[in-house]
Amino acid sequence: MSASQPLLASSTPVLQGAEAKVYQADLTTEGPPVLLKHRFHKQYRHPNLDASLTRSRVAGEARALLKCLKYGVRVPGIRIVDINEGVLGLEWIEGSSVRKLVPSGAEAEEGGEESVALVNNNEDLLKEYGVSMDSLMMMIGKELAKMHKADIVHGDLTTSNMMLRHSSSLSSQKSEMNTELVLIDFGLAFQSSLVEDKAVDLYVLERAFISTHPNSERLFACVLDAYEREVGKDWADIRRRLDDVRLRGRKRSMVG
Amino acid sequence: MQSIHFPSYPPSFSIAHVALYTSLAPGSAASLRQRIITASTLPQDEAGNAEREAVNFAFINPHLITSRLHLQTAISQAIIAETGGSLRTKTVHSEILWVLNPTNNISEAIRRYGVSDISTALLVVRVCGPDLSASQAQEQLDKIVQGTLVPFALLDSLTDWDTIKKYHKLNNEPAILAAKGDIECERRVVDNIVTSTVAMKSVAS
Repeated sequence: MSASQPLLASSTPVLQGAEAKVYQADLTTEGPPVLLKHRFHKQYRHPNLDASLTRSRVAGEARALLKCLKYGVRVPGIRIVDINEGVLGLEWIEGSSVRKLVPSGAEAEEGGEESVALVNNNEDLLKEYGVSMDSLMMMIGKELAKMHKADIVHGDLTTSNMMLRHSSSLSSQKSEMNTELVLIDFGLAFQSSLVEDKAVDLYVLERAFISTHPNSERLFACVLDAYEREVGKDWADIRRRLDDVRLRGRKRSMVG
Repeated sequence: MQSIHFPSYPPSFSIAHVALYTSLAPGSAASLRQRIITASTLPQDEAGNAEREAVNFAFINPHLITSRLHLQTAISQAIIAETGGSLRTKTVHSEILWVLNPTNNISEAIRRYGVSDISTALLVVRVCGPDLSASQAQEQLDKIVQGTLVPFALLDSLTDWDTIKKYHKLNNEPAILAAKGDIECERRVVDNIVTSTVAMKSVAS
């Protein structure tokens, strides 16, 4: 029996998706907790296929994260890999998902029938982090550009897959810039230097913005502004391709 | 001596006793290294097993360890390999050395991260269950290591960052270049990369 099985059993579930369950666990009796991402066994797949898919996805995610770390992209550090069990242990990021910080219509939808009143406590939430909405968007653009410069394509960019890390949980005592934007969930990430893949990555985020945050066109423009400044000479190509992708959608060919 | 507890790991691998030694007696590192090699070649009889048990520790070069988290991650990954039946080396202790080294070469891992003839400082780890107390492990260590036992926190002052960057080929990585000048920040970045590299050793490309 692998050591990560009892570790999973003793940890606290946080989230469940279709692909994996996410837990908070204490590996040792002291020190910060770790996040465990367990790609559980899928009953609907042939066991051999299941094992090989799980292995390659855990490995792929870990490799993408390490490459990001080496290129200075802010991502969680890797703590545990158990390829046989499909367990990936990551640095615990204390903070809030960007999705909760950007105004959305979701809360109103849940509350009552078609009430369009936007819940606007987001500004207060953001104040806790000491950043304005615009600077949050710029942080997103900058981090994405750094990631694309490392030739990593995220594959599932949404505001839920970005965290704003609390300044208090950072070890540095410096006053400037101690709130960080951290990109998470590299489960669908892959390496590519193609302009097409990077443009599609941005397009997916744009669609996510439009569908989760109404009237956010100006915000996304802010993201692209900062992206342009960081990514440099490749911007012209990527922008041109992004315009193409907007016209046709993210699939290049209409097959499948 | 310090102990790292892994409360959720199987009982027989739930504790790692860690001891840091400096100012090793001249020549003692060489004789210790010789003793470890000899022990591994002794026959599988009572005397052989007793000798292997006497040196049943991981002897690590502390200059190449960046932080407690780095060491802890290596121990944890070695335990996962042992319990999952996927050890690349013979014991959980040699596995710690193997996961610390960024390449797949076992003899290189032992040469770089293990004890060498000219070692003056040593980090010793024993992975075990609750049946071996810290004081018992210490007693056993006193018989084989001649040096000054120092608090684990002194590890920071031993770390050789330049060699670590060289072994991990980090000198031209954008994250390191971006942190140039701010030594505190650069060390944090190196520690994070090195720890992550250890954690993902089993799936490194």
